[in-house]
Amino acid sequence: METTTCRQCANFFPLPKDADDYEAGKADCVREKEDEKGKYWLSKPIFENSTRCEAFHTKR
Amino acid sequence: MNDIASAKILEYKGKTLNFTPEDPTEAKIPSDELHEHLQKPSTARTKRLKERCRWKHASAGEFIEKNVTAGIERMRYLTEAHKASEGQPEAIRRALGLANVLNKSTLVLQEDEFIVGYHAEDPNMFPLYPELSHMAVQDYLMSDYSPQPADEAAAINAYWKPHSLQSKCQPYFDPADLGRMYQVSSMEAPSFASGYNSIVPPYETVLEDGLLARIKLAEKHIAEAQADMTTFPWNGTKGLDNIAKIDNWKAMVIACKAVISWARRHARLARIVAENFETDPKRQAELLEIADICHRIPAEPCKGLKDAMQAKFFTFLICHAIERYASGYAQKEDTLLWPYYKASVIDKKFQPMDHMGAVELVEMERLKISEHGAGKSRAYREIFPGSNDLFILTVGGTNAKGEDACNDMTDAILEAAKRIRTAEPSIVFRYSKKNRDKTLRWVFECVRDGLGYPSIKHDEIGTEQMKEYAKFSLNGNGATDEEAHNWVNVLCMSPGIHGRRKTQKTRSEGGGSIFPAKLLEISLNDGYDWSYADMQLGPKTGQLASLKTFEDVWEAFRKQYQYAINLCISTKDVSRYFEQRFLQMPFVSAIDDGCMEFGMDANALSEQPNGWHNPITTIVAANSLVAIKKLVFDEKKYTLDQLSQALKANWEGFEEMRVDFKRAPKWGNDDDYADAIITRFYEEIIGGEMRKITNYSGGPVMPTGQAVGLYMEVGSRTGPTPDGRFGGEAADDGGISPYMGTDKKGPTAVLRSVSKVQKNQKGNLLNQRLSVPIMRSKHGFEIWNSYMKTWHDLNIDHVQFNVVSTDEMRAAQREPEKHHDLIVRVSGYSARFVDIPTYGQNTIIARQEQDFSASDLEFLNVEI
Repeated sequence: METTTCRQCANFFPLPKDADDYEAGKADCVREKEDEKGKYWLSKPIFENSTRCEAFHTKR
Repeated sequence: MNDIASAKILEYKGKTLNFTPEDPTEAKIPSDELHEHLQKPSTARTKRLKERCRWKHASAGEFIEKNVTAGIERMRYLTEAHKASEGQPEAIRRALGLANVLNKSTLVLQEDEFIVGYHAEDPNMFPLYPELSHMAVQDYLMSDYSPQPADEAAAINAYWKPHSLQSKCQPYFDPADLGRMYQVSSMEAPSFASGYNSIVPPYETVLEDGLLARIKLAEKHIAEAQADMTTFPWNGTKGLDNIAKIDNWKAMVIACKAVISWARRHARLARIVAENFETDPKRQAELLEIADICHRIPAEPCKGLKDAMQAKFFTFLICHAIERYASGYAQKEDTLLWPYYKASVIDKKFQPMDHMGAVELVEMERLKISEHGAGKSRAYREIFPGSNDLFILTVGGTNAKGEDACNDMTDAILEAAKRIRTAEPSIVFRYSKKNRDKTLRWVFECVRDGLGYPSIKHDEIGTEQMKEYAKFSLNGNGATDEEAHNWVNVLCMSPGIHGRRKTQKTRSEGGGSIFPAKLLEISLNDGYDWSYADMQLGPKTGQLASLKTFEDVWEAFRKQYQYAINLCISTKDVSRYFEQRFLQMPFVSAIDDGCMEFGMDANALSEQPNGWHNPITTIVAANSLVAIKKLVFDEKKYTLDQLSQALKANWEGFEEMRVDFKRAPKWGNDDDYADAIITRFYEEIIGGEMRKITNYSGGPVMPTGQAVGLYMEVGSRTGPTPDGRFGGEAADDGGISPYMGTDKKGPTAVLRSVSKVQKNQKGNLLNQRLSVPIMRSKHGFEIWNSYMKTWHDLNIDHVQFNVVSTDEMRAAQREPEKHHDLIVRVSGYSARFVDIPTYGQNTIIARQEQDFSASDLEFLNVEI
């Protein structure tokens, strides 16, 4: 069975090729969070073949 | 409870002055809730941002808001890089460490915000610095604020222990001496153990040049150095210097590239949120504007006010929180932002906006700073009760030509502070008689609204001080007479140069504290601390029986003070030695023109000496000396032995004697007897002995008397003192402030006393509490303005004000949930009153509330 990776996640945003930190397969993982103070977004570098995390949700 | 309209009436120069509120609508506001009616955020957005602000204030060492914790990412990625770079030059290792943190750490973007950037992986977190202080990290590991996973954090901290600044510096000191410093009762602990630090970042180069230009400069220098190394004939006495320079320039390039890339990650984040998460078209457009800004700057020069504010904030995060921790927010903000204000507000050439747009931007900046968490140890959280850290910017004063430096950006900064009402960042106003009335009125508006800032510094004193220090420059490149006008407060009180070079880069240059009250206590006990640590705290300077005259007491104190200040400064200089070898700051170096020119690390290069140390609790010691001289040696009413017995009993059973000592003349009443002794104490010992020391930069070390919250912390560790104070009570709340409640002869008597101390001082904090009804009356501005002119003419260095009523503070103690906007000046910083522990609140209530009598108004030459 194929392992689900970050690439299939809706939070996966591949880096443009002209980005300073561009690497093949590298992307920004951007997640929306909310607490009593309001909404915020977190961005973390990720690679397409990384194993899915608990925040994974499938890209539509 | 009174209302503000019930103020007193005063006969003055044949007129009856009625102190009713200048704004008649205030007449019906109960005096115990005034501050809850004063905020006026300029936009609905800043009102929302304030309501949801993620404050990081601490009280009694505990964070007030829930969910605040230490993050792990900075320490994780710094450590990962350190392990991976073993064997490489240390400056390059530091740059790779910064780059690894910036490349891998999680970015944060919050709803509604326009200025973006954060220094930890979650907006409720703050980073830690195991390379600076493994003890501070250990403190977090043992608390509810521990970074997670805790096992990983503990392993990281263990890794750094042998690599830390503390481990490198400690072997050069006698453990007994260090043991005395760690008591934090006569001396602050050495900075190599605490990690506490401060800096004045050269923001100017980032905004004016952009980092791409800095990279080009460094690369040019590398090429020149490499060419020099191949030039015939080789000269080893000079050629080898290129090695360290090349390493430093390479480190600068790595650091600048990493910062540009990090800023552009923010640009991508804003764009992704705009295109994938946000549904409001207006906010979508704003997020795309943020994306554009973060892509261009700090890589390129700033073109408008939004650019400048964002570039400044990114630079702040790197210099104060990511490359290395440093307290403070030192910058000459009105001068720095003026070209961009002009471009956007006046000329409307780029990022056009009106003046209120600039005010909104400053309000947003203030709220960003209010959310900024600092990974300080519990001890350092306790000494700043009610705050998250010290954030202090400077405005006003005079420019390089000696002309008024106030501009419309100055007014925007002050108006925003008045409207949004946050405790931080605090503001320093450099007062000159050349300052325009319009700006002085804004200063007054902030003061009378009870913000506790601007704190006022004497413009000419600061400028002359920069000229004096420049004479000691080791490379002959200290501040010129023109550049001497370019100064800001580095933290609460001490001036230092701002600009493209010559700024202070580390607290080992200036900062740290010494506590005269405790030194006096042990001077009366052969150097032994009987009341707190039960140990020998200083040299043996004589048993009580050997102190036959007042001069014997004086000389015993002098020896204790010499020992302590010598140790304080030598620990800072040893820190400096290792900072430049293992804690290089490649980014700070890259944005300093001097470091760029010479290929030097910012910790190493010192062009403008700025040595200082902070005496705190001086007035308790000084008032005690006055009482000893009067009651023991002049009047011979008591013997030193009797005094010692009374002190060791904490005055219990000696009440009549305590009252006598309490009633002895006190500082701040224009009393010639007290003031002569105290002036000599400041000028001959506190300043005179300190300035005999030469620090790393080649200049003298001068006293900058202040207090922060240490007047409470150290007061609690200081036994009963001969000024009639009980053991454990708070000490004096400023470098030269009268002891709380003892300045009973009015505000002008305080000014006359303070003006007598002129020699051998770098700065001295004066806390004053002024009458609310008088300040809010139609005569308030005239009285305050006259007060400031007199203060200036008396050549006094500093003053800051509380304008808050006892009624309101008592009401806030009863119902704190109704008083979130009540701000008070603690000492050197402001805080929300309800965030301060009760012990601290009571010290502020106990301060003398100064009314103005007719004779005060006459002395001030008030024209009404």
